[in-house]
Amino acid sequence: MSTFGTLNPAYTGLVAARRGLDVVGQNIANANTDGYTRQRVTTSALVTAPSSLQMSATFTVGMGVNVDGVARLGSDLLDARVRSATATSGYWDARSSGMSALEGTLQEPGPNGLSASLQKFWGAWADLGNNAAVPATGAALIAQANGLASQISGGYKQVDDQWSTLRTDADTKVASLNDAGARVATLNAQIRTTLASGGSANELIDQRNQLTTTISQLAGGTVRNLPDGTSEVLIGGNALVSGDKFNAVSLVGTYHMDAAGTDPVQLKWANPPGNSVALDGGALGGTISMLAGANGTGTGGPIAEAAASYSKFATDLAAQVNAVYSTGANAAGTTGTNFFSFDAALPAALGLTVIPATSTDLATATPGAGAFNGDVAAAVSQLGTSKTSPDALWGSIVAGIGTTAQTANQQSTMADLSATAATNNQLSNAGVDLDEENVNLLSFQRAYQGAARVMTAIDQMIDTLINHTGTVGL
Amino acid sequence: MLTRVTNQSITRNAQFNLQTGLAALSKLQNQASSQKAISVPSDDPAGTAKALQIHGQQASTSQYGRNIADGTAWLNTIDSTLSTVTSILGRIRDLTVQGANDGAMSPTSKQAIATELTSLKGELLKQSNTSYLGRSVFAGNSDAGVAFNADGTFNGAAGSTVQRRVDANTTVRVDADGSAVFGTASTTPGSVFTLVDNIISDLQSGVNVGARLTEIDARQQAISAQQSIIGTTEAQMDRASQTNASQTVSLEAQRSSVEDLDLAKTILDLQTQQTTYQTSLGVTAKVLQPTLMDFLH
Repeated sequence: MSTFGTLNPAYTGLVAARRGLDVVGQNIANANTDGYTRQRVTTSALVTAPSSLQMSATFTVGMGVNVDGVARLGSDLLDARVRSATATSGYWDARSSGMSALEGTLQEPGPNGLSASLQKFWGAWADLGNNAAVPATGAALIAQANGLASQISGGYKQVDDQWSTLRTDADTKVASLNDAGARVATLNAQIRTTLASGGSANELIDQRNQLTTTISQLAGGTVRNLPDGTSEVLIGGNALVSGDKFNAVSLVGTYHMDAAGTDPVQLKWANPPGNSVALDGGALGGTISMLAGANGTGTGGPIAEAAASYSKFATDLAAQVNAVYSTGANAAGTTGTNFFSFDAALPAALGLTVIPATSTDLATATPGAGAFNGDVAAAVSQLGTSKTSPDALWGSIVAGIGTTAQTANQQSTMADLSATAATNNQLSNAGVDLDEENVNLLSFQRAYQGAARVMTAIDQMIDTLINHTGTVGL
Repeated sequence: MLTRVTNQSITRNAQFNLQTGLAALSKLQNQASSQKAISVPSDDPAGTAKALQIHGQQASTSQYGRNIADGTAWLNTIDSTLSTVTSILGRIRDLTVQGANDGAMSPTSKQAIATELTSLKGELLKQSNTSYLGRSVFAGNSDAGVAFNADGTFNGAAGSTVQRRVDANTTVRVDADGSAVFGTASTTPGSVFTLVDNIISDLQSGVNVGARLTEIDARQQAISAQQSIIGTTEAQMDRASQTNASQTVSLEAQRSSVEDLDLAKTILDLQTQQTTYQTSLGVTAKVLQPTLMDFLH
């Protein structure tokens, strides 16, 4: 080994310690950066190249330390678990917030709900039964009936509005999904180039991970890493992103709740056109499931089903009231008239109208039993007490929506808990621990000081050799 | 099990726990201030359905209560009218007995009796047209204005009765049949108005009116029969009213058990949750601050 040979290993030690300090600095600087994964300098000892000139008896030491690179201490398994938990919690959050808004419009149980109006409606009939042919009582009933009809149509419109709002929201979510997908493709290209030129793509990979988590939150999906450092994002088994290629999705389907059954809201691939995306959950999956049409068996999209329930309720109410009411005779003795009618062009809930305009139109009497007879009105008032009454139907509608909302809330709470647990696990593995970084800071600092010390020692040795040799005894 | 704990994961955990605690606190506060166990159907779907059903039953029970009050007023009106009619008829009988005493009565005194009878007939007609809230109580469902015309003909609609529903399964007749109380040309005994007219004309033409006493007694019995029916119905109304009142109380108890909050439990929960939240705030503040940085110099 040459005289100055020992300086080189000490120099590599200085360099390695400085790189170590750089990385500690980067870690501490990003201690609170979202999605940042802690990094470590990886080093290895340099070995001396075996020389044929050297005698086999001469022992050699290594040539110092080599900085191999900067490792990213993430875990693919934990990242995947976060993605799948976020997809589930995204789905149930969308369901739960949709259902909460829906049950909020019912205003049940309470004094402003439909059931309270219905009870006042039956009460007005009973009063009319007691005081038939009294104009004030008749007018009160007609006002109450009009109020009930407008409350039914108001409830339907609120549900309709909620559907439209969610439909627009779904469009926004699809735009975010496409945006995230396009950015993942761009990042993939950058990562490939960086890695090919031997650079460190750790920060780019962190960004990509955040974007794939966003995609999972929106649409579920799985991520597969490819050998060249790029990744593939699959939704329902088809690639949204593959390397630097991005396949856009678009939302097709109606913007009107009434048409949701015939022209359903669906997510489609841009390429090949017309193929629908099989969503694996995610907020978009939850929203689209809320937007599904009513299917007649009550298992369709909850919003459209609620609207259909309003119509079913209106139809049932009208049929039951008309069946009894049409047996009565009005002041002029006319029988066979109806109390409620429908505008055929509209859904039943919106088209429900009250036919009698004044109290003299009301057919409250049993034909031939005298003009003051109110038996028919009294019989109508008793409709509310039967087992198949409109009240019971409404009660079962409210309980049905309540049960669906309760399930969505419970599932959402559980999914949130598991998403939080998965994120915690990810963070405890990948997050920066300031204590640890402080310890690393110290050890690199000491390593630097040690390497510098070695240099000083060699320097002093050489100084002795050059300047003080032969000056013995002077 | 991951043993590595980082500052960020501690912060996240602390945030999550604080948020959960605050959400629980807010729900309890909301419940305690509104005093309602169910604010939206999803709080308790089955309870909501039950609450709606009980509200419906409460509404119809209070409606039955109003029906009972209305029916009782009808019956009271009829009852007092029938008492008045009975006393008028008693007076008519007295006068008839007096007029039958041919030996002691001069034609002038008979004429005086006839005049009083005429005014009593007017009184009877007025009683027969007694009304409650604009409806003749003896005319059934007829809207003719009066139950009996001045000539004693009946205006009531045949076979139609005024019914009030007193509970889910029972209706009660609250009017009295005018033709049974006062009689018409086709009933047996005949019309009370015709009877009084006959007595008057007998008195004026000198025929002995003693024979009319049987007819008066028959009418008196018919009226008593009607009055006892009305009395029975009034007793039925009383019972219905009591049942209604106790049902109102029991329904309110049912409603309260479904909808209302167990106040003691909620306040206790609220207090516990408050303590939990404050503790977690204090602990979080203590735990989040120190790092190795604080101890290295």
